[in-house]
Amino acid sequence: MPATAVAKPENGRNKGIFHNTAGFSTLITVTVLSLAWLAGFASRLFAVIRFESIIHEFDPWFNYRSTAYMVQHGFYNFLNWFDERAWYPLGRIVGGTVYPGLMITSGTIHWILHALNIPIHIRDICVFLAPVFSGLTAIATYLLTSEIWSRGAGLFAACFIAIVPGYSSRSVAGSYDNEGIAIFALQFTYYLWLKSVKSGSIFWSICTALSYFYMVSAWGGYVFIINLIPLHVFVLLVMGRFSQRLFVSYTVFYIIGLLLSMQIPFVGFQPIRTSEHMAASGVFALLMAVGALKYLHSLNPKGQWKQLLIVGGFLAAVAVFLVVVLLTYMGVIAPWSGRFYSLWDTAYAKIHIPIIASVSEHQPTTWSSFFFDLHVLVCTFPVGLWYCIKNINDERVFVALYALSAVYFAGVMVRLMLTLTPVVCVLAGIAFSILLDLVLREDEMCPPPVESEESKSLYDKAGKLKKRPHETPNGASEAGLGMNVRSGTLIAFMILLMLFSVHCTWATSNAYSSPSIVLASYGNDGSRRILDDFREAYGWLSQNTAEDARIMSWWDYGYQIAGMGNRTTLVDNNTWNNSHIALVGKAMASNESAAYSIMTALDVDYVLVIFGGAIGYSGDDINKFIWMVRIAEGEHPKDIHEADYFTERGEYRVDSEASKTMLNCLMYKLSYYRYDSGGSPPGYDRTRGALPGNRGFKLTYLEEAYTTEHWLVRIYRVKKPDEFNRPRLPVAKRTISTTNSVSKKLAIGPGTTTSKRRKGLLKNKPTVVKGKKVARLE
Amino acid sequence: MACTSANVVKCHCQKKWSSVTMPAMAKIQFCFTFILFIAINCASVNVDNISSDVKFKNVDRTIDLSSQLVKISQKITLENSGKSPVKSFLVAVEASSKNNLAYIGAKDSSGKDLRVSETTVKGHDSAKFWRVDLKDALNAGSTVVVTSETVFTKALQPYPTAITQQEDQLVKYTGNLYVYSPYQVTSQKTNVVVVTKGIESFSKVKPFSQQDGAIQYGPYPNVAPFTEKELSVHYKNNSPFLTVTRIERLIEVSHWGNIAIEELIEVEHTGAKLKGPFSRYDYQQDLHSGPASVRSYKTLLPASASDVYYRDTNGNISTSNMKVKKDSVELDLRPRYPLFGGWKTHYTLGYNVPSYEYLYHSGNEYLLKMRVIDHIFDDMQVDELTTKIILPEGSVGIKLNVPYPVTRLADSLHYTYLDTKGRPVITFKKSNVVENHIQDFQLRYTFPRLLMFQEPLLVVGFLYALFLLVIIYVRLDFSIHKAEHQHKD
Amino acid sequence: MTSLVSVIPKLYQEYTTKTPKKLKIIDAYLLYVFLTAVIQFVYCCLVGTFPFNSFLSGFISTVSSFVLGVCLRLQVNPENKQEFQGLSAERGFADFIFAHLVLHIVVVNFIG
Repeated sequence: MPATAVAKPENGRNKGIFHNTAGFSTLITVTVLSLAWLAGFASRLFAVIRFESIIHEFDPWFNYRSTAYMVQHGFYNFLNWFDERAWYPLGRIVGGTVYPGLMITSGTIHWILHALNIPIHIRDICVFLAPVFSGLTAIATYLLTSEIWSRGAGLFAACFIAIVPGYSSRSVAGSYDNEGIAIFALQFTYYLWLKSVKSGSIFWSICTALSYFYMVSAWGGYVFIINLIPLHVFVLLVMGRFSQRLFVSYTVFYIIGLLLSMQIPFVGFQPIRTSEHMAASGVFALLMAVGALKYLHSLNPKGQWKQLLIVGGFLAAVAVFLVVVLLTYMGVIAPWSGRFYSLWDTAYAKIHIPIIASVSEHQPTTWSSFFFDLHVLVCTFPVGLWYCIKNINDERVFVALYALSAVYFAGVMVRLMLTLTPVVCVLAGIAFSILLDLVLREDEMCPPPVESEESKSLYDKAGKLKKRPHETPNGASEAGLGMNVRSGTLIAFMILLMLFSVHCTWATSNAYSSPSIVLASYGNDGSRRILDDFREAYGWLSQNTAEDARIMSWWDYGYQIAGMGNRTTLVDNNTWNNSHIALVGKAMASNESAAYSIMTALDVDYVLVIFGGAIGYSGDDINKFIWMVRIAEGEHPKDIHEADYFTERGEYRVDSEASKTMLNCLMYKLSYYRYDSGGSPPGYDRTRGALPGNRGFKLTYLEEAYTTEHWLVRIYRVKKPDEFNRPRLPVAKRTISTTNSVSKKLAIGPGTTTSKRRKGLLKNKPTVVKGKKVARLE
Repeated sequence: MACTSANVVKCHCQKKWSSVTMPAMAKIQFCFTFILFIAINCASVNVDNISSDVKFKNVDRTIDLSSQLVKISQKITLENSGKSPVKSFLVAVEASSKNNLAYIGAKDSSGKDLRVSETTVKGHDSAKFWRVDLKDALNAGSTVVVTSETVFTKALQPYPTAITQQEDQLVKYTGNLYVYSPYQVTSQKTNVVVVTKGIESFSKVKPFSQQDGAIQYGPYPNVAPFTEKELSVHYKNNSPFLTVTRIERLIEVSHWGNIAIEELIEVEHTGAKLKGPFSRYDYQQDLHSGPASVRSYKTLLPASASDVYYRDTNGNISTSNMKVKKDSVELDLRPRYPLFGGWKTHYTLGYNVPSYEYLYHSGNEYLLKMRVIDHIFDDMQVDELTTKIILPEGSVGIKLNVPYPVTRLADSLHYTYLDTKGRPVITFKKSNVVENHIQDFQLRYTFPRLLMFQEPLLVVGFLYALFLLVIIYVRLDFSIHKAEHQHKD
Repeated sequence: MTSLVSVIPKLYQEYTTKTPKKLKIIDAYLLYVFLTAVIQFVYCCLVGTFPFNSFLSGFISTVSSFVLGVCLRLQVNPENKQEFQGLSAERGFADFIFAHLVLHIVVVNFIG
């Protein structure tokens, strides 16, 4: 509202003395936004400057790999891409199991630039995509906030979102992930939605649907939109704020958005089949019913209709709800997926899906991380929320709902902090704008009104200031504040904002700008040493193993092996098949000979483990090992028992007091095999601060193929059956081994345990796909 | 070239001038070949005949086996025993090692290069011949000293072919005990340099003597033309056996003062393969572990090279050092991992050099003078070299002049920033390249200097159009508003 | 209930008298689209939904045509002038066409 209020007088006054006002405020807006863009872009470049232009972490490597595939082979081949390099015996249909928005976006940019003869490598586009989109997010946030409150608040919000750590954590240069572009799509969709609610125009609704389509193509978090917007509509209905504009905007958005969202192969028919999407259709039906009743009411506006209207509305709502429940019960509509449940019941994942619980991103958020990610905004956004609720209108209902739901979700899962951040920026922008209004306004109150219009050329917020007295009567009481108090407040806020920006830069630089595939250590003299072990190992794999070699590792490293090493992996970060992961976990947790039979059944050629003991890297496989055991136990409760890996006192140790199972499992042996360096005493594990309990052992079925300079990555080759010492094998095993050497296919047959396991994982496959599909949900 | 070929090298370059007292047999042969020569010369095939006037009076041969290459240099004392002056003589390489030959060159006694061109001799189809043109014709009865140099790649066979991490690498050289020559050799000596003390075995043909790291054979008197006798040396050789299996050298010329060079290099350790496990523990324990492996090597770049980058498909390779020396920039390149036998790596090395050092012009005529290939590491051997030269957009009349024969591929176009019709790309290929091939090529082309302004004008024009568009858009936007207002009213 | 029944003819009368002709044309169109949707639904109940995407695209396209028609009717209706400020009938119609363009491109893509 204020925005239109500002726009109109400006248009009218164009020929007057204040001819420049419109141009001037536009200039300020454009300047501030482009500066916000620039600042946001620059603050995300720490990793590039400190290290290099490189893709970070795990998931981005998959995105990069598939983008490169798309650029090389074309879009249609990408959609039909069957990746036999992943999930080894099974493979993965990539085109149908990704949100292609990210790849299409960077592929399009690449295509445009190359059409203009600008030969930028696709990797650089991927690296810089997220920082560039952070600028677009700032603009979208500006638009959204100026829709809700005012342009001044919009500028504040844009500046906040450009640098806030909660968002830059997911969008530093090199972090090439869905979230980078999805937050832009999210904000822009919300902006367009508010715009369409406000104007009731079909055009804006269609734009909302298109933007929603982009969001669907980019991130699983689109479910948030398709639940929040119906919630907004529903709350407006309950509040008695039904209008024909709302009817137009929602119905058009829903039906077109539904159709568009089903165009994404990964989403498919989910929007009409799963419970997550049912709220939207329910509200659609409800709105249709209400609209029809309203229409009939308008034909014959008499008393008896009023009750009928209410009764009819409720009946429709109940009917829709019952139909949905019935369909769910009948199995037409899939019930909520596990990851979705874990949003409501935080303990759910821990009990039922260890693989979800094992990811650190899925842990509940701590208070400190709220403050770390949002800093001063976390304290100020309730003020904005308060003002929004106080001066309620259709749009502010939306932002209030957005804020409340996002706060809840952010509390449940660290990862969802990302959805909270934009709305916090919006509300904090509003709060700061109001506060600064209060402080600055009084300067204009005392002098004659002409003066105030003059100041408009300085502060573009001034345009809406004139409305303030009607809206905030309490502002008048504060008008009596003295000059000192005012300037004091002003300075205090400026310092607060300065601290905020310092904190943002610091947090982005220190916490979020590590590529995590290149580690840096600092010597006592401040000199920097780069530990490039990961790339060393992946480079070795890519050059010195057979083209079709199959690498077994824990799933964390699957994408990196595929992306940098270009080799086939058994499991990767797309954790869709729990039983397969459990099998790898079992192999790691078993003793060498048991592991060997699993590895031969899976045709494993190399085993890769991460071992941080030599340099004190804490994210290594021994520390993750307990999750491997848990996941393996979930699928193979007969063979693996979590308790076996702890000491009798229930401690998780690796030294001589560790349990026997622990000391003889494959993961332990592969980590500590011939590990005798690493300071004093030799063989000391720096990460766990202990001397390994089992040392000087020999490996029978594997041999060390490569170990990186700092022992971080260790690669072992699985020996062929004719290579290891035969007499050491029991007679029964030996016959199997000889069959193995004749044919790998046959090897699966005779080994009864392995064949059973195989069948199991194939049987589980279809059901697990559904459950795990939400790998990237929110 | 396939690196697996198990060639046994019999290197033997002999030069010989037949004397006046030519045997009848040779005379007939000469006549025969002469007639053939005339007959075939019309078909423009380079055919030579073995002159019976020429004789090698003395040959001092050094076979250098200290690196992965076999470098043979022969100091030939040439004698014209005929009656007419002789302008050229022939150098031959035996059939068994001709495929390994990478480079052949000849110098006179003052160190000046002599022209060497490939030729054939009828009746000796299996061997390979080169004709060396003398600077001044050799008069009857006089002698001249010529030094010929040949370099063979892949002539050393690792034996055993696979070793464990701690073992030394043993290689076997099989060559010709005598100088392989189309002429009679009156006296010859051979010095085999291996540098190491660890000689397992070698051919023992008297007279010979063995000293530290060297074996002397000879002198052997009066050896007939094309005599072959096996010479084999089996010894320890831990020098880096690195082969550049493929290198693509990209030279991008800009008239704004910069030449960008980028080399895509694939390297393989072609020595004895690593057998059994690789142990980081052993490798870290002492520096002499893995004696046959390659931890790093030095690349020399031109002294003016700047903005050097060293990366592969996964990003920068952070383990390298750069030293700026007086006459070169020395890069100490460490691959991501040490290279053991059979291990491969690949990387991209790029740098910029100022164009004034390599680009000459007069008016619109330009001359680019650069190296066909640059130094990669000492005693390098390159299987396949592709050099690409990208000239500025609008260059015409391109003429390439190379110091040795190469295969020129079809020209293509390259599009980069602000190009409209593409930059011409000249591509040529050469296989089996060694250090001796580091020579300059010359590329002449015409470039209208006015075209220099095309790119800035393009930018200016684009910005102008953009501003114009914004202006028009702003006006247009205004009119739409008005129209809508009217509608409402 | 009786009041409900008695009200229906009244409603019809109101409708015929009050509604402008333009809107009646749109209503006729809406009725046609609605019937199409019903036919499709009945067909799918009887025969089955085998090419599910084809059925869906057909059904959703009729539903959205209906919705868009209703929206157009709302925007064109002179009684709703107050609701839709800044939206002329012409603008409404242009939006309607634009929406159909988007809709049918998607439907054609989806129908397979």
